[in-house]
Amino acid sequence: MFRALLRRELVTPLRRRRMIVFQIALATLFGLLIAARWPTDGQVALMGARSQEIFRLFSFGLMATLLLLFPVFPATSIVSEKKSGTLELLLNSPLGAWRIYFGKLVAVLALAGMILAMSLPAAGACYSMGGLSLDQEIGKVYLLLFLVALQYAAIGLLVSSYAQSADSAIRLTYGIVLGTALLTLGPHSFFQGTGGTLAKLGETLRCLSPLAALASLSGADSIGSQGLMTQTDVMGRFTAWSLLCTVIASVWTMSRLNHKIFDQSRAAGTMSDDLSKSGRFFRRLFFLVDPQKRSGGIPSFLNPVMVKEFRCRRFGRLHWLLRLTAICAVLSLGLTYATTAGTFDWGVETIGGIMVVMQVALIVLIAPSLAAPLLSVEFEHRGWQLLRTTPMSIGRILRGKLFSAIVPLMLVLCATMPGYLVMAYIEPGMQLQVRRVIICLAITAVFAMLVSAAIGCFFSRTAAAIATAYAILLSICCLPMLIWMGRDAPFGHDTVETALSFSSIAAAFSVIQMPGFEHYDLIPANWWFMGIASVISLIVMPAWAYRVSRPQ
Amino acid sequence: MNVTALPVENETPASTGEPPVLDLQNLTKRYGSFTALDDLSLTLNAGQILGLIGPNGAGKTTTIKILVGLIRPTSGSAKIAGVDCVQDAMQVKRLVGYMPDKFGAYDNMRVREYLDFFGAAFDMPSDQRAKRVPEVMELTGTEYMKDRFVESLSHGMQQRVGLARTLLHDPKVLILDEPVNGLDPQARIEMRDLLLELAKQGKTLLVTSHILPELARICQQVAILTNGVLRAHGTVEDIGHQVSQRRTLEVHLGTAKHVAAAAKIIRKSVEPEAEVVESPTEATVRFRTAQSEENLGKILRRLVKVGVFVTQYREVQTDLEEAFMSFTQNQSSIAEPASDELESDGVTTDV
Repeated sequence: MFRALLRRELVTPLRRRRMIVFQIALATLFGLLIAARWPTDGQVALMGARSQEIFRLFSFGLMATLLLLFPVFPATSIVSEKKSGTLELLLNSPLGAWRIYFGKLVAVLALAGMILAMSLPAAGACYSMGGLSLDQEIGKVYLLLFLVALQYAAIGLLVSSYAQSADSAIRLTYGIVLGTALLTLGPHSFFQGTGGTLAKLGETLRCLSPLAALASLSGADSIGSQGLMTQTDVMGRFTAWSLLCTVIASVWTMSRLNHKIFDQSRAAGTMSDDLSKSGRFFRRLFFLVDPQKRSGGIPSFLNPVMVKEFRCRRFGRLHWLLRLTAICAVLSLGLTYATTAGTFDWGVETIGGIMVVMQVALIVLIAPSLAAPLLSVEFEHRGWQLLRTTPMSIGRILRGKLFSAIVPLMLVLCATMPGYLVMAYIEPGMQLQVRRVIICLAITAVFAMLVSAAIGCFFSRTAAAIATAYAILLSICCLPMLIWMGRDAPFGHDTVETALSFSSIAAAFSVIQMPGFEHYDLIPANWWFMGIASVISLIVMPAWAYRVSRPQ
Repeated sequence: MNVTALPVENETPASTGEPPVLDLQNLTKRYGSFTALDDLSLTLNAGQILGLIGPNGAGKTTTIKILVGLIRPTSGSAKIAGVDCVQDAMQVKRLVGYMPDKFGAYDNMRVREYLDFFGAAFDMPSDQRAKRVPEVMELTGTEYMKDRFVESLSHGMQQRVGLARTLLHDPKVLILDEPVNGLDPQARIEMRDLLLELAKQGKTLLVTSHILPELARICQQVAILTNGVLRAHGTVEDIGHQVSQRRTLEVHLGTAKHVAAAAKIIRKSVEPEAEVVESPTEATVRFRTAQSEENLGKILRRLVKVGVFVTQYREVQTDLEEAFMSFTQNQSSIAEPASDELESDGVTTDV
């Protein structure tokens, strides 16, 4: 029975043609990564420094691949079964919760194993160059990758058991991955060496990141490190955290694999209009825009598709948007005020760096989930067919959809404007930098939105559209950072600068003069890249929409 | 394709002399070598309900999609209220209310918001929508669910909301794909009454359904499609007659003892291949035959003459379900012998 479940979970996805393409692409990518840095002269470094440099790069590439591609599988595993109705059949069978859970867990781990197996020839090539120990270096890196896969598989399955749709599961899982892998590095990067509670907190948080664990294994500087050494056993702490996470998430998910998973009310709730006067007054106090209040008709001057898009998103409704904007505004102003008032002894660059990191993370997290499903959600729920039977033109539909995605992004950006203004006021010499950072962020938002929308229109499933958009966008933004990590050795300054020109995060960092990025001149090359990619995306999306809308 | 088949009436049975609201002429749709729709010609007058029936893959959805401008015919023409569905697709969209077989729900949208959105999509001004949305909700019985999320509605409820959405812009023609699918008996009766009411208001309806008794009750006309070919078109009674070249007759007997004797006489009197079914428990004999009225009279006389106690001797009316089964199960075998018989009567139709 267990074997049957495993076969269904693993073999069925492997039958798809796109999985074969995916495997070949992975093997090619890893091969190219090694081939690009393979020694071409007759000299061999006895200490194996060259092979260690290459292996470091390769292991970060492998980790990035795992973090970008893998979470989609556990995130959709349970929710897609729930949506298609097969989970009811499974729960109605003699298979217990633990067998269903472990069937799924082993299946997604097998997929992770497949991703890792694709990298074995490249790892073998690194090993054959000498200077690498099989059990101390290569073995430990693969053990770490297995732990990461296990942890995110357990978290993904837990998220999937709560999610109401595959796309919301993917969104939340990628949010958790981004938060635990990257954002946990932020506090350490800013406060290392300062001493005090914040530095300790930063050090502890850093141990939750698989990237920090990998850096400690491969002997590389951690991302954002400023050359300071620490004595912390990052790998040990990460192992404990990862196993703890896995156990808690697994027990939690198994406890949900019963009637509870279906026992969710979709009641509309009491409408505020039907409440007593005092009830309405209290809701008015808590909500600027009350989601339970009957909304008015769509005003004639507004694009109905734009309004529809806002109303269809659970977190796109105005009250959520206002909350998000308010949080951003309060945080940015609070940070700037704290520095001005002398509460913290932080430089303006540090404050700017924190704000840039937070905003780019927010854009990268929000943009694909807003823009990628714009068309795919219509294809999936048969809404496109209905829209085509209305007199609305394709152009009007697309305009409404794109506006519905760009407005929240711009609102989030505008929310931090007061912080930047105060920063420019404190340090007048930074006005040009602040202006350029704002332009960087605005272009990043437009680029992320248009590229995600263009990628998403090729998919008829929302989950696939969002996952692909996340993977591509994160690749564009984060993979150049791998090259940056290999700056000076094995990559030269020009190579790193060229690679960083593609990353909007790196461009914003270089503008704000973040340590490690101050020597790279990425503007205007990065703006040209994002501008051209945005224009291409802006052409691709309507062209595809016209193609699929043309009567056959 | 030139097939001799049962008579297909391209003219509306109850033709009033007014131009038809729905006018399909020689409509054909091919995908490579596969013909989804073959030379379909149909007309329908205002205020009439046409039931389009056929097995899966018969060409019903293709016909509907051509009418609403989602696909283009390979040849032929389709007009709604004189407007060409291909040349003037945008104008046709305002004339037609289309309800597909799948609902098309949007997440996190309440029923009233959903209807308001589609009203706005049809360029209805907001004040007009504010009046029209409650009107259609009242008409379709969806008022009580106005604050509920559309994706949380049951299938039957979604069908009603779908119909409300279809009626929003007050279209002349309603094209409804499986409107009673998933409805409970009470809701089905209400939907039937609603469709009849809409027809009374002058709307022209094209309805597909697999629940044939429902169609038989509401449709003035029925068209049967198989493999993209129109096999029959007319009123339910006409279609019944087209099928009943072989009629079904039932003999009720006063005693079960006479069943075997009656069946023996009937078998001798009808065609050798005719089906004769005895039912001793019900004391009846049922048979299908192509015998004339005169011969049927002779059979009754023979039964009475030998002393069979006959209490009833009657023809069983062919219902739509039976007609549909006849056309779909034996489309080729029906067409050929029937054509011989029809040709002898001088009736041959190109389909």
